[in-house]
Amino acid sequence: MGTRSPLARAKQLRGILGFVLLFAVWQAVTSSGLVKPIALATPEAVFSVIISGIADHSLLINTGVSLERLVLSVIVAGTLGIALGVAVGLSRRFGSFVEPLAAFFNAISGIVWLPLAITWFGLTWKMLLFVIANSVFFIIFFNTLLGIRTVPRVYEQAVFTLGASRWRSILDVLVPGALPGIISGLRLGLGFGWRALIAAELVGATQGLGFMIYSAAQYLRTDVILAGIVVIGIIAYALDAVLLGPLERATVERWGAYN
Amino acid sequence: MPSKINVENVSHEYFNPNTSQRVHALEGLSLEVPDGEFLCIVGPSGCGKSTLLYLVAGLAQANSGRILVDGRQVERPGRDRGMVFQDFAILPWRTVERNIGHGLEIAGVGRKEREPIVRRYVELMGLSGFENKYPYELSGGMRQRVAVARTLAADPQVVLMDEPFAALDAQTRNVMQEELVRISLYERKTFLFVTHSVDEAVILGDRVIVLTRRPGRVKATIPIEIPREQRRWDVLGVEEQFARYRQEILRLIREEFDIQEHAAS
Amino acid sequence: MMAAIRAIAPFAAFVALWAIVVAVFHVPQDVMPSPAAVAAAFGDAVRKGVLTVYTGETIRRILIAASTGALIGMAAGFFVALNDVVAEVTLPVIRFFQSLSGIAWLPLFIVWFGFSDKTIVVAVWYTLFFPVLFNTVVGVKTVPRVYRNAILTLGGGWSRMVFDVLLPGAIPYIVGGIRIGAAFGWRVLIAAEIVIGAGGLGYFIFKAEAFHLTARIVAGMITIGTLWYLTDFFVLRPLEEATIERWGLVHR
Repeated sequence: MGTRSPLARAKQLRGILGFVLLFAVWQAVTSSGLVKPIALATPEAVFSVIISGIADHSLLINTGVSLERLVLSVIVAGTLGIALGVAVGLSRRFGSFVEPLAAFFNAISGIVWLPLAITWFGLTWKMLLFVIANSVFFIIFFNTLLGIRTVPRVYEQAVFTLGASRWRSILDVLVPGALPGIISGLRLGLGFGWRALIAAELVGATQGLGFMIYSAAQYLRTDVILAGIVVIGIIAYALDAVLLGPLERATVERWGAYN
Repeated sequence: MPSKINVENVSHEYFNPNTSQRVHALEGLSLEVPDGEFLCIVGPSGCGKSTLLYLVAGLAQANSGRILVDGRQVERPGRDRGMVFQDFAILPWRTVERNIGHGLEIAGVGRKEREPIVRRYVELMGLSGFENKYPYELSGGMRQRVAVARTLAADPQVVLMDEPFAALDAQTRNVMQEELVRISLYERKTFLFVTHSVDEAVILGDRVIVLTRRPGRVKATIPIEIPREQRRWDVLGVEEQFARYRQEILRLIREEFDIQEHAAS
Repeated sequence: MMAAIRAIAPFAAFVALWAIVVAVFHVPQDVMPSPAAVAAAFGDAVRKGVLTVYTGETIRRILIAASTGALIGMAAGFFVALNDVVAEVTLPVIRFFQSLSGIAWLPLFIVWFGFSDKTIVVAVWYTLFFPVLFNTVVGVKTVPRVYRNAILTLGGGWSRMVFDVLLPGAIPYIVGGIRIGAAFGWRVLIAAEIVIGAGGLGYFIFKAEAFHLTARIVAGMITIGTLWYLTDFFVLRPLEEATIERWGLVHR
């Protein structure tokens, strides 16, 4: 993966050029007076907010708190989601019975549970965790379920004729076979979880990136808002691109399952 | 001498979810397979050939009648009745080596003991050099060799083969058929081989059984009296005996096909 | 008929289980209401006109945002895709904005438009726009060059290229983008309605919480879920299947 063809390198450079252009446009729009500074902060203003936020740790703390909430939720909800997804998927009949329910709950996962979660937990960290874990769980559960159900039956039959027990077929066939679905679920879960987190923090938190940008809005501090957005965006991008890529390459891509 | 496999008056119906219809696959089918025989089963499309195989494998339970292997009734799949499937069914997440050794792994054979056995079958099936490849890197023919190697390595007493060469091109198919003849000379196992191709049945089988149209039962049994050592395409292709067998079997299948056509219209 | 029963069965079973659990464990009504209580709250809200008005507002918003977002996204997507260099320059930026939820932009939109209906619609529009844009670009770029050349050698010009070749070829991806955009857009809509408080189903359930009307919250949640489920089932999924099947194109 180290050597890049000149073609790929050119593509990469052009991608970076895109962001450079974006900054240029931003800079031009704000410094030309086309847009009032109160409506859109300049790149330097945002940059200085980020720097000072790192220096006095405030930005770091907010980011850390948000990430911590995400990681915790994903670990809990992810484990549950995969385990239950596998368990339910084991019986094909049961799996297809549960699927519509899973799809429905998947549709309302996340922020829609906010009011109910507030009723149950008040404006506490437990409420936030519930809302985030909710998004993460249903997506991972659903994708795992689908992953298990779409493993071709003939693979199971093949190992049975090799003398495998039911348990063996689960470990050797169903789980590896469901891996693309599980990874898909994890990737989507992280993405949805991050979004739900930001949304929940807007109204229900006293710390974290969501809280930071929302309270900044009350003071019309677009520089703080944009600083927060930049951090939120970078993390969102990284979650999708960086985190699961290596896992995918080591398993699913190596097996050519996407071929 | 008691038979290896005894199919006693088996009838079977199943529900096809794709067409939402009940399929009456077999009716009152009986047959006996002596130990060590290579038996080929042919018949018109949909006559229940594959169903019979699945029943012997224990992947399905016959509605009525029973199937005995070594005098014991078949109730579930097991290592003693290995099966090679039409679509190979080798696991895409395991290398060639690990696929071939899978049966041994399941039986609890340790890695050190597995290695020589796996190596033997890798060589036997002409897969040397491909041990660490994944299925998606292999051609259809190679994948099927892995499937056969996997089944044989698990050392079953009965080898069930469900049109294993149907998805291969003609040349690869001929090569695989000759290899299978060669293997059957070395490994003393009972083979049950289902195929659409009469040529294939004649070159491989000690006996060829023709099934009637659906619901299938045994229409005719034709012993193939050509010594195994002589079963090679360059020799047989021009043999008069071969042509006569083929003619006879085709005639029988054609008969069933025509009845089926008339029944449909 | 059989198929309809089979479709309803899981939900019926769930509701039954729900009713049993609430009864057996004596769960307080303001923690988890029974299905009957929820149905009553539903009826009550409908009768008072509250639910219908708010539902109407939510539907209006998603329709406006979806139609304009999708159309502009597609148009922009074609524009970008036609030049390889432009596509390579802008795609990473587009992807960045796509992973950045519309919700994160709410505070900025609040500064611009206040706590208004406009803010909500813009946020949802943003959320729908980018996936459609991204998928359109990818979709157009995957149309084999051969087809484009074929049209050119038939004497076809600009509009023929777009409507006879690129659009049909890119449709599976475009529809996929619309589906993704709609899924995200729907959530952003509800979240925005909760935050902004300018009517809508999100506001409906949020306000119900303030008054501890748990049965009403659940009624609202079910409404939201059902609306979304119905849209996906009766509009989006058939659309996706029809285009893929009809053109025999393979989608990941």
